[in-house]
Amino acid sequence: MLLKDVVCPYCACLCDDLDVTVEGNRVTGVDNACDLGAHKFQAGNRLPGPVRPTEKGWDRVSREEAIGFTVDMLLSADRPLIYGWSTTSVEAQSLGIHIAEEIGGVVDATTSVCHGPSILAIQEVGHPGCTLGQVKNRADVVIYWGCNPIEAHPRHLSRYTMYSDGFFLENAFKERTLIVADIRPTESANVADEFVHLKRGGDYAVLSALRAIVRGKTGSIPSHVAGVSRAQLLRIGEVCKNAKYGAFFFGMGLTQTVGKYKNIRNAIELVDELNRHTKWTLTPMRGHFNVYGFNEVCTWVTGYPYAVDFSRGMAFYNPGETTAVDILARKECDACLVVASDPAAHFPRAAVEHLAEIPVVQIDPVVNATTAFCDLQIPVAVTGIDAEGTAYRMDGVPIRAKKILDLGYPADSEILREVYQQIRDRKKVREVKPV
Amino acid sequence: MRVILTAKPRKKPLIPVEAETIIPRHFRQGRDLTVWEGNRERSLRDIFDVMVERTAAAAEEVEVILRGDVSRFKRVGEYMDAGKITIEGDIGMHCGNFMTGGTIEIHGNADGWLGREMRGGRILCHGNAGHYAGSGYRGEKFGMKGGTLEILGNAGDFAAEYLAGGEVIIHGNAGDLPGVEMVNGTLTIHGNCSRPCGNMTGGTCTVLGTVRGMLPTFRKNSTLLHGSDKIPLTVFEGDIANRGKGILQVREYSYDD
Amino acid sequence: MTELLLRNACVIDPLNRVNGDVMDIAIRDGWIVESVGNGAEVIDARGFLTLPGGIDSHTHICGTKVNFGRYMMPEDMRAGRTIRKGVMHATSGYSVPTTYGNSYRYSAMGYTSILEGAMAPLEARHTHEEFSATPLQDTMANTLFDGNWPVMEAVKEKDVKRAAAIVAWTLAAVKGFAVKLTNPGGTEAWGWGKNVTCIRDPVPHFEVTPAEIIETLIRANELLRLPHSVHLHCNNLGAPGNYQCTIGTFDLVPDLNKERQSLYATHVQFHAYGGTSWKDINSKAEPVAYSVNRKPQIVIDMGQMMFGKTTTMTADGPMEWNLYRLHHNKWSNHDVELETTSGIIPVYYSKKSLVNCVMWAIGLELALLVKDPWQCLLATDNPNGAPFVRYPEIIGLLMSKRYRDEEFRTIHPDTGKRVILDTLDRELGWHDIAVMTRAGQAKALGIAKIGKGHLGVGAEADIAVYPIRIRDTDPSRDYAAVVSAFQRTAWTIKRGRVVCRDGDVVVEGTNRTIWANSRVPEAFDMGRDPEFVKKFDRYYTVRMANYPVQDAYIPRSGCIESEAVL
Repeated sequence: MLLKDVVCPYCACLCDDLDVTVEGNRVTGVDNACDLGAHKFQAGNRLPGPVRPTEKGWDRVSREEAIGFTVDMLLSADRPLIYGWSTTSVEAQSLGIHIAEEIGGVVDATTSVCHGPSILAIQEVGHPGCTLGQVKNRADVVIYWGCNPIEAHPRHLSRYTMYSDGFFLENAFKERTLIVADIRPTESANVADEFVHLKRGGDYAVLSALRAIVRGKTGSIPSHVAGVSRAQLLRIGEVCKNAKYGAFFFGMGLTQTVGKYKNIRNAIELVDELNRHTKWTLTPMRGHFNVYGFNEVCTWVTGYPYAVDFSRGMAFYNPGETTAVDILARKECDACLVVASDPAAHFPRAAVEHLAEIPVVQIDPVVNATTAFCDLQIPVAVTGIDAEGTAYRMDGVPIRAKKILDLGYPADSEILREVYQQIRDRKKVREVKPV
Repeated sequence: MRVILTAKPRKKPLIPVEAETIIPRHFRQGRDLTVWEGNRERSLRDIFDVMVERTAAAAEEVEVILRGDVSRFKRVGEYMDAGKITIEGDIGMHCGNFMTGGTIEIHGNADGWLGREMRGGRILCHGNAGHYAGSGYRGEKFGMKGGTLEILGNAGDFAAEYLAGGEVIIHGNAGDLPGVEMVNGTLTIHGNCSRPCGNMTGGTCTVLGTVRGMLPTFRKNSTLLHGSDKIPLTVFEGDIANRGKGILQVREYSYDD
Repeated sequence: MTELLLRNACVIDPLNRVNGDVMDIAIRDGWIVESVGNGAEVIDARGFLTLPGGIDSHTHICGTKVNFGRYMMPEDMRAGRTIRKGVMHATSGYSVPTTYGNSYRYSAMGYTSILEGAMAPLEARHTHEEFSATPLQDTMANTLFDGNWPVMEAVKEKDVKRAAAIVAWTLAAVKGFAVKLTNPGGTEAWGWGKNVTCIRDPVPHFEVTPAEIIETLIRANELLRLPHSVHLHCNNLGAPGNYQCTIGTFDLVPDLNKERQSLYATHVQFHAYGGTSWKDINSKAEPVAYSVNRKPQIVIDMGQMMFGKTTTMTADGPMEWNLYRLHHNKWSNHDVELETTSGIIPVYYSKKSLVNCVMWAIGLELALLVKDPWQCLLATDNPNGAPFVRYPEIIGLLMSKRYRDEEFRTIHPDTGKRVILDTLDRELGWHDIAVMTRAGQAKALGIAKIGKGHLGVGAEADIAVYPIRIRDTDPSRDYAAVVSAFQRTAWTIKRGRVVCRDGDVVVEGTNRTIWANSRVPEAFDMGRDPEFVKKFDRYYTVRMANYPVQDAYIPRSGCIESEAVL
């Protein structure tokens, strides 16, 4: 059976034009997707049911036992941490946030190790953004800074920028100017009209210099700034000012290098400054499928996009203090629930070490590096393959991911709803009759 | 009045304790105080051995002394307005948040956000301070607005971020981007630092050591001889990326070209 | 079957011409009925003022832009935090509270239905997700068409029916309630960093004018027999001298509907400025109110501004950019392909600012100068003029000349030269307030017929009981008591259940989403229109099949059906 317009569950491009062929309960063909997306539909490595480690290996446990264990662990903890969320649905994320609220825990997402700094910068100066169709239909200058879309977001150029014709650009490839800024020549740099080759850690200084140049204050700019010549900076300043519509995209090369959120802030303020001359927008190249969805739902439920500490019954937010990686590295938490992510593969060693010392439950479809640290893993459906639900694209457009297979696994949201309900039953939360 | 709080050993010593109730005024009032250990509210006496000497007619006459391991105790001295807190060892995050008066003296090191959004009074830290000493809160336009924060050791990154008034003095080195977004007030760094005062719009920052990664968007104005030792300083104005009118004066500097 | 009897209620129910009678209200299974049995639960209202549940006909509470306001302002979030308690979730935020914060605070004020003022169709799913987390009010979404490419193409072709068909398809697809135009044409121009100044400026490339968009959509709206009229945020918001643009816009409006207005003009305070710059800005509430008084086809809301901290957020992207350049605080903008845009900046309205004082006076002047309260509804364009928690103070100001005078003495001393507020003696009565906060909204939105905004038999049992006895209260003198009573109901009843008691929420609640579905003849089904489909596929970045909001997002659907006349 051929399914049209399937939403890709891999990255935050959220391509929704995939043709997927399903035979029996198996995906036999994926068209229109990039290799990364196509691979996700084929991925195996899924556990048959909940498992707990024993001396000898792994024991199967029932769903009821698994949920009971999770509830006990969360309720008995003095500082529980609930972490993950980037590859599941908003519905599941919402439940996870409410669980944290109910147990007085900390809830955080993979955001804190990817675009958390972008959010901190936005909280300082705002975000001049747009949906990706604005870029596709209008942008004649596109900047990719500290990101390599050809490898990390392979269809970004063909769907939204260089190779995508738009309403006001009938021959996009010829009419658009592409600028890539990075510390090394990448695949994306190879196709750029202009490559800005920065020294490592030089982003902040180069962006400051560009801001001054756009303001017409070129006098004090030295001959080179972090490896970039003054002449190139002046040239880029002119290209940017003369654009009809400019679009600035950035990735982890800007968010996770020295200076972190101040780099992003500088990029945003450059875009603000450019708006005094012409139209410019900025978009973070969010990574995982629905990492932005977590930020959205966490914001409407708690007021903050990630790293929320409910230990006092109200939401407290302070990345650096309430972020998962910091809490683990300081060995603060005494229990951890991991959902839809793999911290053991991505966190620094000090943080991962603490996972080995505390009870950990993981809710995830597949066996991953974190499995080795688990006291229990509950396998669930993959959102976008065998479970449906909402995901937010990198530009904030929400799209409903489809269920195209039924492999008998529960969705994360089903497991989490049971956990939440049991916690509320145990805490005797109920409506009171007013007198 | 002297209140000596000696931290008892805890079963899970790494779980943070939020102790914003620990300010001199509360002890004069003789209130039953609680603190939060993780998500559990505890009586002060469950966490500390409490010894009280004499009485006080005003908060100004109260000294609170913290002994034992309080390195994970956060928010001590928050909204403090008078009196003194002495911490004999290290102290946790957010010590002296929003404080308006009185003195906090820390004999060990302080964790992050020391004196965050401070309004007045004095903090003296004999050891090192973590990141964001004398800074603001996420999203706010103004950080510390008054008072004096003096660190005898080193400070981490983003010291005095959004400084809007008062004085921050760091005797050792500061990390990356001290005085970033600073709008007013005075920041003095006796040691070295990198990339000071990015995006500053006002105030004065003096670095008596060496600056690495001097930002290209500061305009060299003049030179001067600083203090009784007549230390030669180069005076910059900036940040011109942001219409800034701040003063950055440094002894030695190098660009990252 | 559940029954409730609300006894000794002092009822003002303007739609049923009840004005202060003490009576009992019988409720069965969420609806008001003639009588209930002896077993009914009884609440003794003790003669307290009892009104239909409040309705906010223009507020920003859910969706992409609102959430971005929260997202970018942790400082606003920490300014209004409450702890998790009973069935209440933790809340955060002052000017842009979390969804539960909005819902609880509205409920404490007796509000049971609210209309989100601006939803971009492409991002409708987001608005609906937040509606589901706004459990104590029924919700509606104004759907943005101000920069809609297919609509502008139809306008250019002077094809009202095609414009109507596009609106019908879109509203049904995104489960929208009404047609919203925010700075029509200006939002498309903002795609290039430009704007239109008033209704006669052509929109770049599309070669239509705002006037043409407005006129076409007013007619299209009536062809579709939609419950609400076109809901307009006029061009040139917030600019000195813009009152002429506003009056010019009002002059465009034909009278096409006997049951309600043909145009709802929102937050008119922001559109009633005289002068040529910020230096000589003055109130033009008088000519604007004069225009409204002569045109029964127009209803406005005040867009009252109150002093203090808040956040401005609107689909009017270019206006927010202008504000940013004025305030130089943080600025967010979000342009939506083929449809619209939006912007957000935080602001502080100060009594020291003459401009702000003039704005404050204009909103009140409009409400006092428009003769018929059914034509001027109470709102702040929450949170743009002020967070909705300030409504009770506005009620107090409208009911008490003394309160206004006292406030007037505390503001910028030159204000009196720019406004006439201090010369207006009118004091609104309880009935006027009941009209301006619920009955008028129900009529203007066209939802009285589904049982909203009144307390007659057959109405939905959404009721607010305020702890005040109107016979013992002189609002002119006791305005503080009035303000306090409107801040916190004794009981808020939603769908026949007490949901909030003395300010504490006592149920989890489930919201219902009210949306409009106008059935068009097959020939006008845009889903099968080759030109529409082709352009959709070519220029949107979302596939047409993935665009409509699935039923899963509308757990309780309140669809208002109509037959289009095309």
